[in-house]
Amino acid sequence: MRLVLALDTATQECAVGLARWPDADTGEPELVGETNVATPRAALTHAVPMVERLLAECGHPISAVGAVVVGRGPGSFTGVRIGIATAKGLAQGLGVPLYGVGTLDAVAERFAGRDGLVAVVGDAMRREVYPALFRCEGGSVIRLAPDSVARPFDVATRWAAELDEPVLLAGDGLAKYMDVFAAALGARAEIAPPAMWGPTGGSLLQAAWRNGAPSQDGRAATVLPIYTRLSDAEEAERDRVVGPYLPGSGVAGPDAGVRP
Amino acid sequence: MSARLRPMLEGDVVRAVAIERACFPTPWTSGMFVDELVQGASRQWFVADSPWGLVGYAGLMEADTEGHIMNLAVRPDARGRGLGTALLSRLLDVAAERGLRKLTLEVRPSNVEAIELYRKAGFRDVGRRPGYYSDSGEDALIMWTGDLSAHDARTIASTLAERASRALERFHLETSRADIEPQTHDGLILAIETSCDETAAAVLRDGRDVLSSVVASQVDFHSRFGGVVPEIASRKHTEAIVGVVDEALETAGVTLQELSAIAVTQGPGLVGALVVGVAYAKGLAAATGLPLVGVNHLEGHLFANVLADPTVTPPLVALLVSGGHTSLVHVPDWGDYHTLGSTLDDAAGEAFDKVAKALGLGYPGGPVLSKLAMEGDPAAIRFPRAMMHSGDYDFSLSGLKTAVITHIEAERAAGREIDLADLAASFQAAVIDVQVAKAVRAAKECGVTTFCLGGGVAANLALREALREALAAEGVRLSVPPFELCTDNAAMIAAAAHFRLWRGETIGPSAEAVPNLRIG
Repeated sequence: MRLVLALDTATQECAVGLARWPDADTGEPELVGETNVATPRAALTHAVPMVERLLAECGHPISAVGAVVVGRGPGSFTGVRIGIATAKGLAQGLGVPLYGVGTLDAVAERFAGRDGLVAVVGDAMRREVYPALFRCEGGSVIRLAPDSVARPFDVATRWAAELDEPVLLAGDGLAKYMDVFAAALGARAEIAPPAMWGPTGGSLLQAAWRNGAPSQDGRAATVLPIYTRLSDAEEAERDRVVGPYLPGSGVAGPDAGVRP
Repeated sequence: MSARLRPMLEGDVVRAVAIERACFPTPWTSGMFVDELVQGASRQWFVADSPWGLVGYAGLMEADTEGHIMNLAVRPDARGRGLGTALLSRLLDVAAERGLRKLTLEVRPSNVEAIELYRKAGFRDVGRRPGYYSDSGEDALIMWTGDLSAHDARTIASTLAERASRALERFHLETSRADIEPQTHDGLILAIETSCDETAAAVLRDGRDVLSSVVASQVDFHSRFGGVVPEIASRKHTEAIVGVVDEALETAGVTLQELSAIAVTQGPGLVGALVVGVAYAKGLAAATGLPLVGVNHLEGHLFANVLADPTVTPPLVALLVSGGHTSLVHVPDWGDYHTLGSTLDDAAGEAFDKVAKALGLGYPGGPVLSKLAMEGDPAAIRFPRAMMHSGDYDFSLSGLKTAVITHIEAERAAGREIDLADLAASFQAAVIDVQVAKAVRAAKECGVTTFCLGGGVAANLALREALREALAAEGVRLSVPPFELCTDNAAMIAAAAHFRLWRGETIGPSAEAVPNLRIG
């Protein structure tokens, strides 16, 4: 068993968790403790103190941490970078592996006990969302599409056309666009309670385990944010050169958070 | 690993006092050391420096043709390795060089080890000074050498010198942490800098020796956009930071466990870029339990001067000029900063880059423009010298930039060929004239004899030379760091952090990035 610390600051909440991971990939992680606090635009202030407090409450020195897990977004660019940079420092400083996990995967993980479709709608700001579809079945959570960014109306319309079964909606994008999705999906839409819209320390650790985090190379240098968008300057340049088109799965990172 | 001897500098005093306290019941104070160091050639002080920090020192006072050894100490954990012999041998050499005939010293009769060392160096007991040591009432044993120019004295000196050089070469300590207070004054600082478009890390020993300084420039990612794109800068910092720090540690031959502190630029700079460095450094500090020092980037540019030349000391005035800053700062003492004036609009480097861009020279075009200017006539076109006679220390560069761009457009509209070199030289002269005039006036009004230049634009040769000449006419010395310390780097951040750490200033786990941080 090794003690694993998780951190995510991609949303307006800072999620921190501590779990014991089994040594073999057959066992199940065991949550030691977690803390999830709303820290709008203040993740940099709160992330490390929250980590230190959780460790103290659970009675573990930081040196007992054997691996670090971090949420890679997508989310607020600066928010994601705060979590990733903090986690890189922690992992490098401890000399332990760093594993990345998709923030929206950690949201979907909270519904692992159900059966059916889960649609996570992350707030991408600029009147856009990060949509991600998952299928929960018999305790498993399967991602159906890679991370992307799109207009809420376009996503809602596409889902309404493609999905012919009930959908559980979650994600902090619903705070602004719940009506858009409810209108398009009609009776098929079920809205999760707002307290279930974000990742938690526990769901990060569970999703990372489920997605085979220990098989990642664990190098702190290679864990990078999932942006889904280029910088504005690069978008404008590309529009000038080749004309606008919808971005694909993302930009940075070895696998851009995509798991088939 | 080895040790080396070099003259003692003021920056060594703090560490010397720490050794002093570990060695003697009535230790010298820092004031006593400083008084010695300001005496000039009549005092000769040396330190033994090593990868484990300062390990010893010795000093000599000259009186006519005789020399008096004032002090000689070796850090307790570094004894028995020939450092005392090496220091004493250096004093004998210096005495011979300076034509001294004899040396004397006082030593406690109970200090058998020291007495033996002195005897081997040719000192003989000649008497006692009763009740010399105030703490114990002990007598002092007075020792003298014979004539230093005599054959036997020269034989002793050369034998000693041989042993000294072997001892220094082989010097080694098993432990990296000496049991000496105050700990934080010694040791290794890892600094991280991400305030703009360079991801940098450096390891500095004892605030002076740059063991490594790694700068990963992102300029290629920004150049095609004609300037720094903040979002791209933040992304590149996130990608590069772990590798840059690894390289800095590896090049320095140092592990995280050997560090005594971590430092990071807290501001001023691009907020998104600063945040990456601060978040990362806080994670690293939390994981290692090391103290974290938050550094003002501008204080870093100032301390680049100290890294380049440890004799630079306040009071001084500094001109900090880069793509993001143009400020004149009065420094009565380290840590005491008064911004006399700064640019009201564009920074000097920014003006260079924008004019270069208007001429189609690409980004960053400042250096290209400066190069062109070398072949042009600075008096060819009369551009405005904004705020030359404003009576204050502020600058304004946007008017000049506009005047240059208007000139370019007018010439093009009239179908005239623009002489790029003349234009560049005339523009540069307009910038430099104002900077130099205000710099000289500031130095005079503040009554300083030292002037420091810092920031990327300090690499501009014409500015350096104009400043040097104008200041020299007023009896003011100009300090300019080498190019790699002028542009953004982490070695200068570590140097400033060393000073902050010495003052006991660290930041906690909830520290923020401060994009508009001021220096005073």
